[in-house]
Amino acid sequence: MIRQEEVPLAAILQSDYVFFLKGKATKEEVVKLLTDGLYPQVKDFVTSQVLYSKITEVEKLNNVLETGFYIPHAKLAEIDRFYTALAIIPNGFFDPKSGITVKAALLLLTPNRPIFFQQHLNMLSKLSRLFQASFIESLAAMTNGAQVREAVRKAE
Amino acid sequence: MNPQPLRFKQVLVLSTAMLSFISFWKAASVVLCDMGSSAYYAGGIAMNAFGPAFPWYVLAVMVFSGLMLMVYVESCAMFVRGGVYKVVNEAMGHSMAKISVSALMFDYVVTGPISAVSAGLYVSSLLYNVLPLMHVNWHVPHKLFAVLFAVTVTIYFWRENIKGVEESSDKNFKIMGFVTLVGAVLIVWALATVYIRGFKLPPFELKFSKESLGWMVNFPYLQTIGLVGVFMAFGHSILALSGLETLAQVYREIEDPKIKNLKKAAFAVFLFSIIFTGGLTFLSSSIIPPDLIGGKYLDNLLSGLALELEGPYWARLILQSFVVVSGSLMLVGAVNTSLVGSNGVLNRVAEDGILHDWFRHLHKKYGTTYRMINIVAMIQIIVIILSAGNIYLLGEAYAFGVLWSLVFKTISMIILRFKPDFPRDWMFPVNMKIGKVQFPVGMCVTFIFLITASVINLFTKRVATISGITFTIVFFAIFQISENMNRKKARLYAQDDDSEEKLNMRKEADIATILPELDKQRKILVPVRNPNNLVHLKQVLETADDETTDIIVLAAKISKGIQLEGETGEIAPEDKDLFTSVVLLAEKYGKTVKPMLVFSNDPFYSIAQVAQAAGAEEIVMGVSGAVGAEVQLERLAMAWGMLKKMETVRPVTAKVVWEGRQLSYKLS
Repeated sequence: MIRQEEVPLAAILQSDYVFFLKGKATKEEVVKLLTDGLYPQVKDFVTSQVLYSKITEVEKLNNVLETGFYIPHAKLAEIDRFYTALAIIPNGFFDPKSGITVKAALLLLTPNRPIFFQQHLNMLSKLSRLFQASFIESLAAMTNGAQVREAVRKAE
Repeated sequence: MNPQPLRFKQVLVLSTAMLSFISFWKAASVVLCDMGSSAYYAGGIAMNAFGPAFPWYVLAVMVFSGLMLMVYVESCAMFVRGGVYKVVNEAMGHSMAKISVSALMFDYVVTGPISAVSAGLYVSSLLYNVLPLMHVNWHVPHKLFAVLFAVTVTIYFWRENIKGVEESSDKNFKIMGFVTLVGAVLIVWALATVYIRGFKLPPFELKFSKESLGWMVNFPYLQTIGLVGVFMAFGHSILALSGLETLAQVYREIEDPKIKNLKKAAFAVFLFSIIFTGGLTFLSSSIIPPDLIGGKYLDNLLSGLALELEGPYWARLILQSFVVVSGSLMLVGAVNTSLVGSNGVLNRVAEDGILHDWFRHLHKKYGTTYRMINIVAMIQIIVIILSAGNIYLLGEAYAFGVLWSLVFKTISMIILRFKPDFPRDWMFPVNMKIGKVQFPVGMCVTFIFLITASVINLFTKRVATISGITFTIVFFAIFQISENMNRKKARLYAQDDDSEEKLNMRKEADIATILPELDKQRKILVPVRNPNNLVHLKQVLETADDETTDIIVLAAKISKGIQLEGETGEIAPEDKDLFTSVVLLAEKYGKTVKPMLVFSNDPFYSIAQVAQAAGAEEIVMGVSGAVGAEVQLERLAMAWGMLKKMETVRPVTAKVVWEGRQLSYKLS
């Protein structure tokens, strides 16, 4: 059941913004890939440098989750809705800080206004609940963004 | 990688006596088990000192106890642990605090013997009446029996205290219930007797014995001054005031609202003292012929009252049995209180570095400060033997410690009125506002009365003056030498505001085993990390209803990867500091908290897991200087979601609180 104050993930995750990353990667490379990939959605509001620096600044304080999921996120005053991009990394990347191998990462941009913070927390809570290890494994076996989006919609 | 589900390696639950709080009734019963016990011997001792006018003075002392109780209420309103040592230390410094504690120790050291001997005398008087009826032809040597009884009782409680058996407020409450019931029967029966026989007020005339004049025999002109005589008689009755310090000790355990409950407890003590000690002493003087009070019943006055009532002998004997049983329970309880109290006071001063480490040595098996207990118990036994069962002699000595510890306490409270750093929630009445100071007119008058009685007592009570001053000097010297030795060792203890809490950690493998202990309707989880950042806990303690809310205080100890396997689960010094601060804060508000320490590799995971497992309605965090409130909430939201098993967990309100501000959001 979707709560009123919750934003459906499937509504803001577009198929074109689901990226499959083959081979090895680092955490920084994944964040860069997601930032560059998502940028076209917000290019009218913010420059790529500002976006990247904002995300990397927040990421200094962020941790990957024990489930092998990673949620880089940032709040931007320039936007007025949520934006997301998802990276599926079947081989995973190793996060030395936590010792966890990450196989899925979702970049979340939230409007930096108090009214959105409750939705932002709900979204983080929902993402971490949804992207359990088994769900991530099932996504890793998919081949395109539409399949992923549909799986997310169903899981929600 | 398929990550392993996170588990707590170990959950440590803090258990200390100070984490549960008691009602004002129970607090009053703890104080009365000490203070009320003087009803059994104060009248007889006063009668022996200055004759049949004794009920007036015992009653006056009981009225005066109301004033002293108010001094204690004000001190407790300033310090949660506002005993003599703390108050004198703040007002007059370290040296005076040591002197006042030495006097207080003398009070404790004599409280045990006088109570135990008095109980022995009551039991002996009962046996004297009962044994012939059972055809047992054994003449009980009255005073020898009392000494043997007192030594046995002291040895029993000595052993119990070595084993670390805590004083139980429940037990005190039951004893006081029984004593009140017997006292009520005694009063009603005595009133009926007075109704039948008629009532005559006791005389006002004072007839001091040569013994009770002490060194005043050398100043005959002073005896002619009426007011001096009044103070002399008052001084001989003041031993009925013993036990006030227990109020300061029990205050930390009183439940919320603390000051309101303290005032209720003080009033209950006052009322009981007036009716029980004052009233029964009055009735005794009216019913028992004066020659019997001064003779047969001098050391067992209330037994005498029971036996001299109207009614058949068998009924009076049964009543006497109840009086003796209830009185003995109360009196031997006072023996235990004296051992517990003196050990507590010595531990408190030891923590400030004025008692050598040798005294603080812990018992191998029971972990108690057995050397302190041994010393006090041995002194008490020596005092009992030296007294040879003479309650008057013990009573003479007793007043010194009581009076001088009260003198130091009251003058300190007056001084503290002029120090602006000590706000208080309640003040002794009758004050005059001069500038920013509430000049304590009422307390000053009380002090003048107290110091006059104390100084006169120095002259009239030779035994008290010599033994009290000697004891005080010896104890002061021990404190002084100990402090110097500690200084030389460069191991001065920090002068903390409050004593170090004795923390017992119970190990549990899983949070689930603790859940049944959380049985209140609402649950609030309060994560803590820094003992200097407990604003959020303070806010919860201020607002939560203790009756309906479990307050779970959680410290999550970070242990990563393999380190987790090696964790011993022992409480580290920094955790001890943290939990000591938590306990002191809970104590201040009189609200029960459930402190837990968990070992985990993610504190937010621990918070979410405990909150979900306990069904907490709120998680109240302090703000982190490192990451800030919003990041804290984000991390918690992620941990909350990761752990949540779909719709089985209800939403929780997550708050981050800091001075004057808070963020509050729902986690769904």
